[in-house]
Formats: sequence, structure tokens, C-alpha cells
Amino acid sequence: MLDPKQIEKWIAAGMACEHLSIEGDGQHFAAVIVSAEFAGLNRVKRQQRVYALIRDKLDSGELHALSMQTLTPEEWQDRQAHG
Amino acid sequence: MDVKQRIHDTVTSHPVVLYMKGTPQFPQCGFSQTAVQILKACGVHQFASVNVLTEPEIRAGIKDYANWPTIPQLYINGEFVGGCDIMKEMYQSGELQKQLGTPAAA
Repeated sequence: MLDPKQIEKWIAAGMACEHLSIEGDGQHFAAVIVSAEFAGLNRVKRQQRVYALIRDKLDSGELHALSMQTLTPEEWQDRQAHG
Repeated sequence: MDVKQRIHDTVTSHPVVLYMKGTPQFPQCGFSQTAVQILKACGVHQFASVNVLTEPEIRAGIKDYANWPTIPQLYINGEFVGGCDIMKEMYQSGELQKQLGTPAAA
């Protein structure tokens, strides 16, 4: 069983995140990733940025799937304020 | 024909193509199932689908084609739109219906 904390480490090792939280049951995981690096990138490019950090784990089957919400710090603040 | 060319031909010869695990009738992964449900909710009942579980070469090739390591993958008019998360977000915001040319669900 894969620990969500391990996935956090893989992602945090490759990009600066203001906020990073991952939940999962050992098979399926959902991440909220907040990073200034996402500014100016569309949804596809944001997820590609993260996938690049975990591609080998996905290819090996160690990680099956990761749902992602990818937000800039501003979008994250908006969501905190209105969500 | 190489895999990249085959994928290119498929996505450019159908307006909507879903690369998925299983078939629209029998999806074999929850994410693929969600993708099919979203397309149907958008009013798209006829779309091309490719079952990557029966096409190992395509399964490997599609990941490089869009630089996207997971399935499902949605293509509209030859362009990669996204996977399950992006389809969900775009459906909720009405963008997906717009891109598919169907009226937004009420």
C-alpha cells in the first residue's frame, strides 16, 4: 500500500508548493496542489508539470492514479474565501 | 504505420475520441467510467472510443502522444483536452459543453 505522504514527497521534491495535501486509500489518491508555478499555465500544462515528477511511478504501476486540483496561490485564496 | 501516426489518424478523423480502459458499455476503470458519464451528460452519445486494454501499443503510445501518463484521455477535433479531472472541471464550468458544441446541461 502506497502512503499518501510518499506521493507528497515525490511532488514536493520537484516543485515549490504553497500547499500540498494528498488523500487516498492506498490505490486511488486525490491531491490539492497549490503552487505559484501554475500561474499562466492551462489545466493540461499544470497537470503535465506534476505528472513529470511522478511519471516513473505511474509507468511502473506503483501509483495507479492521482486526481489533481492544481491551483495558484491566488486561486487557492479565492477558494478559501468563497468556498 | 507507427503508433504515433495511428493515433494522429484516429483523433483527426473523429470529432470526439475517448481513449479509455474498457468500452463505453463496459468501462473497466472508475475514471474511464466517469469520463463516459460526463460525455453522455454533455449530450454526446456517439463518440469514438479506443479500448487501450486490448491495444497494448496504443496504450503505451498514447502516453507519449499527449505527454499524459494516464487513461482516460479525451480528444476533441484532434486536440487533447484532458483526463478525468479536467473533464469534470470543464463540465462543471460549462466549458466542455461549449467545446463539444452541445447546450450546457441545466
